[in-house]
Amino acid sequence: MSGATQTGAPAFGGEFFARYGIFLFLALLIAGGGLISPSFVSSGNINNMLVQLAPLGIVVIGQAFVIISRGLDLSVASVMATAAVMTSLYTSDNSSAPLIVASALAMALGTGLVNGLLVTKRNVSPFLATLATAIMLQGIRFWMTSGAPSGNIPPLFKQIGAGNLGGVPISLVIFLVIAVVFWVVLHRSAYGRALYIVGGNPIAGRLVGLSSDRVIIIAYVISSTLAATAGLILAGFAGVVDNFVGRGFELDSIVAAVIGGVALSGGRGGIAGAVVGAAILIAIFNLVLLIGAPVQFQIIIKGAVIVLAAAFYIKKSKS
Amino acid sequence: MLALTGIEKSFPGVKALSNVDFEVRAGEVHALVGENGAGKSTLTKIIGGAYTPDGGTITYDGTARRWNDPAAAKAAGIHIIYQEFVLFPHLSVAENIFKGYEKKTAFGLIDHRATRRAAQEVIARLGVRIDVDERAGVLSVADQQMVEIAKALIHDVKLLILDEPTAVLSEPEVELLFDLVRTLRAEGVGVIYISHRLDEIFELCDRVTVLKDGQHVATRPIGETDHDELVSLMVGREIENYFPPNAEAVDMAVPPVLHLRNISVPDRVRNVTLSVQPGEILGLAGLIGAGRTELAHAAFGVLDHDGGEVFVHGQKVDPVSPGAMIKAGVGYVTEDRKGQGLFMNLDVARNVTGASLGEFVSGWMISGRQEIKAAKTEIDNFAIRCRGPLGDVDKLSGGNQQKIIFGRWTRACHAALVLDEPTRGVDVGAKAEIYKIMRNLANEGIGILMISSELQEVVGMSDRVAVMREGRLSGLLEGPDITEENIMHLAAQTDREAA
Amino acid sequence: MSNPALPGRSDLRRALSSNGALLAVIALLILLVLVGAGLNDRFATVSNLTNVFEQSAGLGLVSLGQTLTVLTAGIDLSVGSMMSLISTLASGLIDGDLARAAWVIPAVLVLAAAIGGGNGLLIHWLGVHPLIVTLGTGTVMQGVVLLYSLTPTGAMPFELEWIAYDRFLGLPIGATITVLLFILVALMLRYTTIGRDVYAYGDDPEAARLMGISQRKVLIFVYAMSGFFAGLAGLYLSIRFGIGDPYQGQNYTLASITPVVVGGTMLTGGRGGVIGTLFGVLLVSLLNNLLNFLQVSTHLQLVVQGLIIIAAVSIYIERKRGLA
Repeated sequence: MSGATQTGAPAFGGEFFARYGIFLFLALLIAGGGLISPSFVSSGNINNMLVQLAPLGIVVIGQAFVIISRGLDLSVASVMATAAVMTSLYTSDNSSAPLIVASALAMALGTGLVNGLLVTKRNVSPFLATLATAIMLQGIRFWMTSGAPSGNIPPLFKQIGAGNLGGVPISLVIFLVIAVVFWVVLHRSAYGRALYIVGGNPIAGRLVGLSSDRVIIIAYVISSTLAATAGLILAGFAGVVDNFVGRGFELDSIVAAVIGGVALSGGRGGIAGAVVGAAILIAIFNLVLLIGAPVQFQIIIKGAVIVLAAAFYIKKSKS
Repeated sequence: MLALTGIEKSFPGVKALSNVDFEVRAGEVHALVGENGAGKSTLTKIIGGAYTPDGGTITYDGTARRWNDPAAAKAAGIHIIYQEFVLFPHLSVAENIFKGYEKKTAFGLIDHRATRRAAQEVIARLGVRIDVDERAGVLSVADQQMVEIAKALIHDVKLLILDEPTAVLSEPEVELLFDLVRTLRAEGVGVIYISHRLDEIFELCDRVTVLKDGQHVATRPIGETDHDELVSLMVGREIENYFPPNAEAVDMAVPPVLHLRNISVPDRVRNVTLSVQPGEILGLAGLIGAGRTELAHAAFGVLDHDGGEVFVHGQKVDPVSPGAMIKAGVGYVTEDRKGQGLFMNLDVARNVTGASLGEFVSGWMISGRQEIKAAKTEIDNFAIRCRGPLGDVDKLSGGNQQKIIFGRWTRACHAALVLDEPTRGVDVGAKAEIYKIMRNLANEGIGILMISSELQEVVGMSDRVAVMREGRLSGLLEGPDITEENIMHLAAQTDREAA
Repeated sequence: MSNPALPGRSDLRRALSSNGALLAVIALLILLVLVGAGLNDRFATVSNLTNVFEQSAGLGLVSLGQTLTVLTAGIDLSVGSMMSLISTLASGLIDGDLARAAWVIPAVLVLAAAIGGGNGLLIHWLGVHPLIVTLGTGTVMQGVVLLYSLTPTGAMPFELEWIAYDRFLGLPIGATITVLLFILVALMLRYTTIGRDVYAYGDDPEAARLMGISQRKVLIFVYAMSGFFAGLAGLYLSIRFGIGDPYQGQNYTLASITPVVVGGTMLTGGRGGVIGTLFGVLLVSLLNNLLNFLQVSTHLQLVVQGLIIIAAVSIYIERKRGLA
């Protein structure tokens, strides 16, 4: 080792790829996909993918907050579905919209608080805590809807979920606003800094006077709240509600975050990576269908990507 | 029986050993001495197969060996008792002793009863009373040490390495251990004995080898050397200008910057009262397990304490928490820099500003530009060698990492600093720099409580020295009374020395 | 420093601290039966309890394997897909023919153990958390089984149905075999080197390495066992239903973890054991049965399941002190 490297200059290439490889990969994926199947890059298909990206992107942002805190939120899908069935709980005209939004947010706040309190005050592992709340929420939802939700969604939600604003899907606009706001929260606010410190080294965080419990609880509340938002959008998009809106989002959001470089060991990764991870996932799913491969390949590729992405970042951080 | 020649070993940022020769004969107790960080532990880990050397040869029993795992060394009869125990806290004592070498029945199954009985025999041979069915995690530290030794004794030991074995033992237990080592020597076992306690070495060992900064300094038969020579070999000659001059006089008339009153922690700290005056460095010495770190943790509010009060500048801090202490102006530099100090996931600037974030926040937002400016200031102040404010901290040397931590706390705290082993894992050059930093801080009026296990450091840096033993304050030394011997005496309070 | 308490007292304390979780779950089980008997006179009958026992065999087998991964502070999220894969593959290949079952069944069990061992090897090589690795491999397996068939396919030979439905001396055969397997694994954990190494690794992987225990061997072993028992559960259920189902294991992945934690095995590894899991399986099954008797809606049963997990994990948590 020479004196110069002793100060810790890593190889430029390695660091560059660890940080920006994910963006490069998305670009290559889109370019490659366009070559394989020109309809992949048609404006209709891109619009289609962006509409799909909106709910997953919103959920993955919240998931990223939780994972950066060293946690995991398996309850997001259940929160989404519960928020979704709430749209048909009251009257079917727009007058019930404020009530629906308020109940969905209250439910999300409660779930996030329970998750966060279990993880911090009771020391329950995030995996089990959020799994348990997910199951309980599912039970409450079934009980509330007697197994099969009925009723109609107020038109306002359908407009938000499926409508356009000057050619741009409204859900996409909401997603972008959320992404920008939470990018600022994570990367520019005092809370965001505290989250990185607590997630990266909870003991060191405590020693500099941070209240790690509060920081972690807030992360779970953010995750639940964003999941509820995504649930409302998805319900509006579908136009009808069922008890399983958002099924699979808990794993997809974790996968997207991991692909995007949010490390499960906590304290690393960011919003841009997580969102790009979600975009990659959606693009792969879409491409599998476009080239006429059986839909099962979506699943297989997703599984392989999880392991490969995790291994990629682990190797990078080890070297 | 064991000869090492030209051993080299580097870790990222640190050269741990360079060109070290070392030899042990059968039936001798060979002491290995040197300051913390001199390379003793690295050398023993190489002998024990836990590390592979980068260069050099190992000859054992007349043939060249190259171990790359501990099992191979163990099979060859080499056993190490590490300073940090390798125990499974939830397994029983008997299982820990025989881990990997369980007694088997005729069918190849583990015979728990025979294992248990054999464990009782080994424990009996050690002459201690330990319940072999107890979980190892609940034993006292001294008993855990005995279990570690028992683990070696079940084998046909040819070479036994003891790394600071007496640090946690009481006097009768030390005598037991010495008898045991003498018995093993008589049986032809080679023993490498690492200790800071020079009197033990003169009592027990046949030869002594001194390491310093990763290099072999000297090997002497014990009869041809003395205490003073060993100390000067270990420390080297630069000791005179190594440490900056002490404070001219500590003003005891002004109220202390940090005053701990009757602090107690269950089982660890009993009724300790201490005061740190502005501008002084108060050394806190004691053996491992004496309760010094626990005292600091209790005073900083990260360990529940039974009772006691903490005052900063005469104001009571209540309740005590890290946040409240930082607000009052007291910072704590942990002994475990990587595990509890640095934010490895963040850059230099964010590590520097970590304890004084409020300074950079307006409304909700943090000003990144202000942070970088502040970090640049600290990088210049402390001569931190790094790629700049946005560089990573994980690949920096221990000294530069520690200076980042100093930068963090001096920004946040202006009353007092509690430094826990401030130069652990720091190389010699950086040590001198850190000593200078500490003295400059004290000269600015900050009170420093320095916990240290390096006697030279305590003697060289402290204006006053408090010594702890078994959770209690056993003495306070000032001026010319601050000597290694006096500190050791208070820390260990051995009857042997008194006799 | 050492302050030896009275021997008798410390023995009792030790027995309680090392078996406390097991005693707690057994006590709960007894309490549940007693309370159930008071609430509904058809609950604590031999025939009902036997039925519950019989129906818990599938969950028991998966949880048995899962316990081993949890003992190493890991988790196997691929067990559900493994069940689906093995049951569908076996059912499809056998297609009702007993003669083919003779080679297909051993073959798919070996496959299950091999895939599981592959999980262990991947975890060791990549150094990625087991959660992620097994989530990934489980997803791949689910995709593969759906490529093989999207719907239940083939048939299991009805000649084998006795395993799932017959009784011997009043005991359901499948469930009894499951209990014997639990005991066998418990003995293996206690009396073989690899069994003890599982505990040592779970207690402190770094210490295990320094003691010369092969981390790779331990990981391959526990995940192979987990895969094997998941495969066995898949076979058992497909025999019971007569056909393999590509979605058979879907709900078992997470369900397999509940009995493990209820039975006192810590997610942090190194503590607990399969006997606790056995009682955990019985407790969970009986509770669901009782709730059915009490006509609690299946929806609220989910809420109860969530509460059990939370209660179990918060009871067994070790109190932390200081910074550690």
